[in-house]
Amino acid sequence: MKTVHGRVTAFKDPKLPTAIAIPKGPEWAQVLKNLTHAQAETLVSVIRTLCPHECLDISIYRRAVSHFDRLAAAAEVAGTIDRFCEAIVSGWPLAFGALAETYRVQALQRLQETAEFMFVQRMAVRYLYDDVEVWAAFGYQGASVHLGGYVGRGFNDLDWLPDLPNDL
Amino acid sequence: MLAPIYEFSADDVVVIIGSGAGGGTLANELCQRGLKTILLEAGRHITPAEFVNDDWAAYEMLSWLDKRTASGNWRVARDHPNAPSWHCKLVGGTTVHWSGCTYRLTQAEMQARSLYGDVPGTSLIDWPLSLAELEPYYDQAERKMGVTRTNGLPAMPPNNNFKVMYWGAKRLGLREISTGRHAINTVPYDNRPATIQDGFSVSGDQHGARWSTLNVEIPKALESGRLDLRASCRATGIEHDNNGAAKAVIYVDANGITHRQAAAVVVVAGNCIESPRLLLNSASGRYPDGLANGFGHVGRHYLRHIIQTVWSIFPHPVNMHRGELMGGLIADFSRHDPSRGFAGGYYIELNAMGLPTTAAFLNPGWWGRDFADVIAQYANMAGIFMTGEDMPQPGNRVTLSETETDAFGVPVANLHYDDHLNDLLMRNHGYKTLTAIHQAAGATRSIEAPAYPASHNLGSNRMSAKPEDGVLDRNGEAHEVKNLFIADGSAFASGGACNPTLSIVALAIRQADFIAKRAQS
Repeated sequence: MKTVHGRVTAFKDPKLPTAIAIPKGPEWAQVLKNLTHAQAETLVSVIRTLCPHECLDISIYRRAVSHFDRLAAAAEVAGTIDRFCEAIVSGWPLAFGALAETYRVQALQRLQETAEFMFVQRMAVRYLYDDVEVWAAFGYQGASVHLGGYVGRGFNDLDWLPDLPNDL
Repeated sequence: MLAPIYEFSADDVVVIIGSGAGGGTLANELCQRGLKTILLEAGRHITPAEFVNDDWAAYEMLSWLDKRTASGNWRVARDHPNAPSWHCKLVGGTTVHWSGCTYRLTQAEMQARSLYGDVPGTSLIDWPLSLAELEPYYDQAERKMGVTRTNGLPAMPPNNNFKVMYWGAKRLGLREISTGRHAINTVPYDNRPATIQDGFSVSGDQHGARWSTLNVEIPKALESGRLDLRASCRATGIEHDNNGAAKAVIYVDANGITHRQAAAVVVVAGNCIESPRLLLNSASGRYPDGLANGFGHVGRHYLRHIIQTVWSIFPHPVNMHRGELMGGLIADFSRHDPSRGFAGGYYIELNAMGLPTTAAFLNPGWWGRDFADVIAQYANMAGIFMTGEDMPQPGNRVTLSETETDAFGVPVANLHYDDHLNDLLMRNHGYKTLTAIHQAAGATRSIEAPAYPASHNLGSNRMSAKPEDGVLDRNGEAHEVKNLFIADGSAFASGGACNPTLSIVALAIRQADFIAKRAQS
């Protein structure tokens, strides 16, 4: 079931770089510089299992993985991702992405206390929810000063509770 | 006017280390009183035009991100092991990040030991000064900061998140509910504009409606012609003379050059980890355990307040991200009430974050369907927050690593914190109250978020009436090192319940009076 709560137009601060475009289809892997294609596909499935939102296009998850790819330029991070991607398939007869959700969740739970899992889970949350397309889907409008703030755009428009007294 | 550049050998200057609420305010107050002042700041001097409306980009731009370690039974040690405290590194310090809440300590809070009695395991003391002595300085602080509801300035208008809190609290029979007090302009004041309710005051406040030392105190100090502001300069040690009095600061500039700046007075205002770290790193033959540490209190009794948030989902939109983030106050639980089963009180305030940081701080480590379903309802989410008094314990402390140093050769700091039973009981009471308020307003689901790295850092170089109980006297001068002062939250004798910035500013103004009077005599 797709649940979309309050889809809005969302803005990244105009001073910041815009999100990178992710090609549709398997050629998205061309954006990778450090991860192998197999690692990247595993991480896409991992993030979709950690943060499952059917309403979000797969390209958004792939963009989150592109941040992992960027971080993997550092040897320490690359090592963490290598170890994670090996451990997550260890003992399973199929690639992580070929497993049903039940088994994907089990595979992640087995690693839950490892430093590698904690890194992947924290970075998944860090980058997936920093995506302006996710903001739009879940009702977060983002940057506002360049639009005059919210003083004339609904900072006090909640109408499902009674009006407030004037002496607050 | 061109800013002065004082000689490295100038021994008639006041050198302040840190440019936040304490150091930045003190610098301006001393300049206005005619004193030559050098302000060292570890971070860069950036203009508001550089600030961004973006949770993570702002965090990375503003925060002190140098490595630390954490230990103890607190959840932060697990969730944020290398960043257990949240404060800033740039000109303006953490006043570029704060949310503008401006409340006063009470006389009862300043007599915590006398009022709460002997709470086992704590190191409670009374403040060595009274509220009456601080009140004239609170008045001055509120005037300079443009605090709402003082000096005829209008209150913060209520936003959506406030409306949820208000009706929940009202339905529970709570009485002391308002939008609170903030150093955020609701009308133009002191050449700063009125808020446009942009919701990004904690990201640097590009719009400039909120008081900070970056946009108010430091420009005024520079206009006086007496401030020598040295940004991107990291202090690494303090030296004393043959009589044991402070006389110079060692620092490394942006080019990596080490300097020795002479001083008549040295003031440390680097927040609760860096200030004790600098004192501990300034050990000498005369002060083998670090400056001002003869009784072993430097770095101890660290306080961080009982701070936590409940995030709730409602059947209809809230849009908590719109507007100033913490525009609400409930004071019903702020007084000490032994019948609740714990010492001290807490205030209830609002909290709002953007989607990126809400997802990160809701419950670090949480994943799967349940987490995803909650965060997907961000638009219908409200946040409610508490800040309460935590108990000082001697073992909650800043120490220096014996094995690891930073890029400047200074040992990395470790922050140890164990929750006291009193802290746990207050947390428990607070969670239940916050959840009850949201449920009464119609919440369908409430998430009791764990505490995140504190920005209310207090107590680690505390004032005390007796030298054997603390580090500083009632003027914030070290008991055992003349001309060495502290001007940040680490000077607090006890934590009180409220947001500390107004008190840090009031204490800095009072300290400026003291330093200026001594300089005249």
